[in-house]
Amino acid sequence: MIRLALAMARFQIAAMRRSPHDLMALVNAPLFTVIFLAIVRYTGRDDLTGYAVLAPAMITVFAMALLASGEIIANDRTDGRLELLVASPSPVAVVVLSRIAMITLVSLVSVAECWLVARVLFGKAVAVPHPWLFVGTLAAIGLAMAGTASAMAGLFVLTRSARTFQNSLSYPFYILGGVLVPPALLPEWLRPLTQVVFLSWGTDLLRDSLSEAPVQRVLPRIAAVIVLGGTGFLLGAWLIHRVLLKVRNDGTVSHA
Amino acid sequence: MISDGLRILRYAAASGFADFRTIYTVRTWITGWLFRVLCQVSFFALIGRLIDSPEYTEYLLIGNAVMIAAMESLFVVASTSWERWTGSVPLLIAAPASLALVLCGRSVQWLASGTASATLALFLLSPLFGVDLRLPMALVVIPLIALVGLSTYCFGLILGGLVLRADSLRNVVGNLTMLSLMAISGAQVPVSVWPDWLQALSAVLPVHHGLAAIRGVLSAEMGFTEVLMHVGMEAIVGTASLGVAILGFKRFAESGRRSGAIEFGS
Repeated sequence: MIRLALAMARFQIAAMRRSPHDLMALVNAPLFTVIFLAIVRYTGRDDLTGYAVLAPAMITVFAMALLASGEIIANDRTDGRLELLVASPSPVAVVVLSRIAMITLVSLVSVAECWLVARVLFGKAVAVPHPWLFVGTLAAIGLAMAGTASAMAGLFVLTRSARTFQNSLSYPFYILGGVLVPPALLPEWLRPLTQVVFLSWGTDLLRDSLSEAPVQRVLPRIAAVIVLGGTGFLLGAWLIHRVLLKVRNDGTVSHA
Repeated sequence: MISDGLRILRYAAASGFADFRTIYTVRTWITGWLFRVLCQVSFFALIGRLIDSPEYTEYLLIGNAVMIAAMESLFVVASTSWERWTGSVPLLIAAPASLALVLCGRSVQWLASGTASATLALFLLSPLFGVDLRLPMALVVIPLIALVGLSTYCFGLILGGLVLRADSLRNVVGNLTMLSLMAISGAQVPVSVWPDWLQALSAVLPVHHGLAAIRGVLSAEMGFTEVLMHVGMEAIVGTASLGVAILGFKRFAESGRRSGAIEFGS
């Protein structure tokens, strides 16, 4: 199983190197960083520099989950790989989840990318006073994002209408996930919704880890990220199972 | 001759709108696309709330609403290269009609949709963010939003001509252009905060002058002559871009005929 997962991770790297579209979010990240840092500099709010560096990184992680991971099964089906995959003895869920895990890992490179843009172009070195919390939260966000991506990968194949709305998911998620503006500053009627989005817990924790002040209630907040992300994993595994059942029953493994 | 050209443009546009109808119905355009646009503009306008400045909220709301027209118009970069997928490029080159004329009209659906969604974003979100647009005077900005969309569309045609040769880069080029314009055109921060060379670059790119005119009209702090000057500059940027784009399409057709590689994009 581990050998299969590693092979799939290597395959995904090779596939991404040939697909600029999959890496587009990493190319966009520096420009988002420049935009947010320009706003911070113009308004004289240097205290928000950390926010301006974290936001484009989280945008990149989600964008890659949406555009690269979310399309894995759909693309395999279009390119004729799903047929081979279904016929092979390897568990499809392991194949898909390993590839999604690799995409998520690559997307996390954006954290360093955005930090470097701030350092090189704006001369701002964002300090991380709580490094373990920062790394732990990033890991939890990575896991939860992979879970969410697996759910999207299944959903985009099962329902055509979901694919229509794929491009529409980004900014609502950035708002509800508190990517730049903390949920506490959103209109009151929106705040309950942010509680069920794992990223809102994660981004709050990441911002807290950049502050000198002691961080409160770490464990329950990390647990919220993991539980909500884990729900995504379960949903994703179920949806992938449903996809396979459906395409086998309908005889539509190789075409929509 | 002119009527032939207009007829070709009309058919190309009709084809583009037919493409658009296969992507969106009225319902999915409203619940999917327009919803995303409203969220995108709100996302940036909320930064004003984070900064705790109503004036800056207004600045971001207007800038990002207008950017929607530019963003959607830039979809022309990707949709121009769709001709590669459909295999229509060799047929268009063999046909007596100008390839440039067809491709210029082929993606105008984005311009129409962009103008509509930007206008709706501006007028629907302003009351939610406490921005007073001073109606009905503010309605004057609708043709100005269309002008920003049109000049960006013409600029996007140049890039569309380039990505016809490198199809895999279509989305990357479109996105990078959109984010660059978003950064330096005055949508997020005044153009004056950038180094001189970036200000000079911004002045010859779309959005900059059109957005300045829109801000001038909405704030009622800019004289009529100055507004007109910005409108003229935006129109000049658009016209010059269109000229370069047409030359680019002609070059593409000529080099494709010479090398026989029209089908393969190399």
